[in-house]
Amino acid sequence: MLDFQRYQIAFTAHLRNPTQHKRPARVTDARMAIYREIVFNNIFSSVSVCFPVCKNILGVRAWRKLVRQFFANHQANSPIFREIPQQFLQFINDVKDLPAYLQQLAHYEWVELAIGTQQTELIKLSKNIDLINEKPILAPANMLLEYDFAVHKISKRHIPNTTEKTCLLVFRNNAHQVKFIELNAMTFQLLTLIQEHEMTGKQALTKLAKETGHPDAEAIIQFGMEILNNLANQQAIAGSKKIS
Amino acid sequence: MPTLADIKGVGLGLKRELIPQIQSLYQTPLLSNLAFVEIAPENWIGAGGKAASDLAWFVERFPIVCHGLCLSLGGPDPVNTDFLKQVKQFLEFNKIPLYTEHLSYCSDIQHGKAGYLYDLLPIPFTEEAVHYVAKRIRQTQDMLGQRIAVENASFYVAAPISTMDELTFIKAVLEEADCWLHLDINNIYVNSVNFGFNAHEFLRGIPGERIVYNHVAGHLQVQPDLLVDTHGENIIDPVWALLDEAYQLFGTFPTLLERDLNIPALPALIHEIDKIAAYQARHQLKQTKVA
Repeated sequence: MLDFQRYQIAFTAHLRNPTQHKRPARVTDARMAIYREIVFNNIFSSVSVCFPVCKNILGVRAWRKLVRQFFANHQANSPIFREIPQQFLQFINDVKDLPAYLQQLAHYEWVELAIGTQQTELIKLSKNIDLINEKPILAPANMLLEYDFAVHKISKRHIPNTTEKTCLLVFRNNAHQVKFIELNAMTFQLLTLIQEHEMTGKQALTKLAKETGHPDAEAIIQFGMEILNNLANQQAIAGSKKIS
Repeated sequence: MPTLADIKGVGLGLKRELIPQIQSLYQTPLLSNLAFVEIAPENWIGAGGKAASDLAWFVERFPIVCHGLCLSLGGPDPVNTDFLKQVKQFLEFNKIPLYTEHLSYCSDIQHGKAGYLYDLLPIPFTEEAVHYVAKRIRQTQDMLGQRIAVENASFYVAAPISTMDELTFIKAVLEEADCWLHLDINNIYVNSVNFGFNAHEFLRGIPGERIVYNHVAGHLQVQPDLLVDTHGENIIDPVWALLDEAYQLFGTFPTLLERDLNIPALPALIHEIDKIAAYQARHQLKQTKVA
């Protein structure tokens, strides 16, 4: 390592963790304080803007401490600013002593950013939507998510005391807005089937009726079609495509 | 496909809050002096959704400059070549003719691992650093297949291990890397106050033939001898005077107004853009007369 690099690394070690690492020799503290402040504040606001509920629940002091630990101990490897919250998410996955629901809540908060900015490719859809005889296609930017807690209901006033399995569909509509839809277990299963298999809406529903052992398959299909139509109206389903 | 020659006149840093305003005032007389916009690749690479459609709107209507923040030309970790490949693609896809970066670093190595700090930190001015930074600029230019411009950075801590002054450092790097200079008039002023030198003398020492691009901005006065480069205020008179002298010395060059904080509504920002344009017009007229 070159001499000037040893200085640089001492400089940044101090910025990351001023209590543990002294500033480089012969550098005035008042000037170093400017960097301590702007560098940390930049990271702090980039992280905080993505996780307002987590921040509110932990309280500003504990939140600041957590972000400080992130900056001190996590070597963020992406130069893309938008990915700072994702790096933070990776970091808190290994942090002990956080409330059990916090990692999942943080993930849920991050999903809005992720879906809002996800790059998508144009998918060729049939001219006329046919959710029965063709494969329903979800909005290009989407995530089907399963959480152990009701993450979408958590707030400072509503701290979960038990687990509560929660399924969500998060997607971006045509106006670039991110939307969240809570799904029951059956709908979640249906959308997973459609996503993962080359199946028409009717085939997926028939399979679902069989798997759940429901006595009235026709009722399931009819009910399922209503759900699919409803999702299409909300732009969660973008259209349909002939199966190959 | 825009070329470097299409970057001219006055530009504005493209902040998210300004986008709808520019879109609604597009082609009105108010924006007649807005000739190009500048973006940070780190904010736009890989972004879909609203960001992608906004960017496409601008690509169709304005020449664009990419001004990077995280390449870390002076950083101790290896140049991020994966990122540079993304930058190259991004420049090509969006038809962006100019990519500039800072003479600074924003990454480090701790416990054997490279990591970003996401802010611009001062490189110590030493012989070794000159060779090191110049080599990384050359590597960048080779990978991109085009010349880049590097910007004189603002800073607050002078490295006690420096063995030369800032101007000597900048000139040595430009020479050895054979790259362009992205001049930042405000940064010269900020550093002149922070480190007690004469900004006009500094400006006169700049190798004018390498200038392709310029920034002006406002800053925050924290103490009589300490300015912080916030880009959050209006441009002050001493900086206007420096800009005036720079055009006088080197001819006019494309100039961007940076505003990142306390961003006023577009009509207020336009005053500064118009003022820069007026300076340019005055000097261009003078130069035509001389010629």
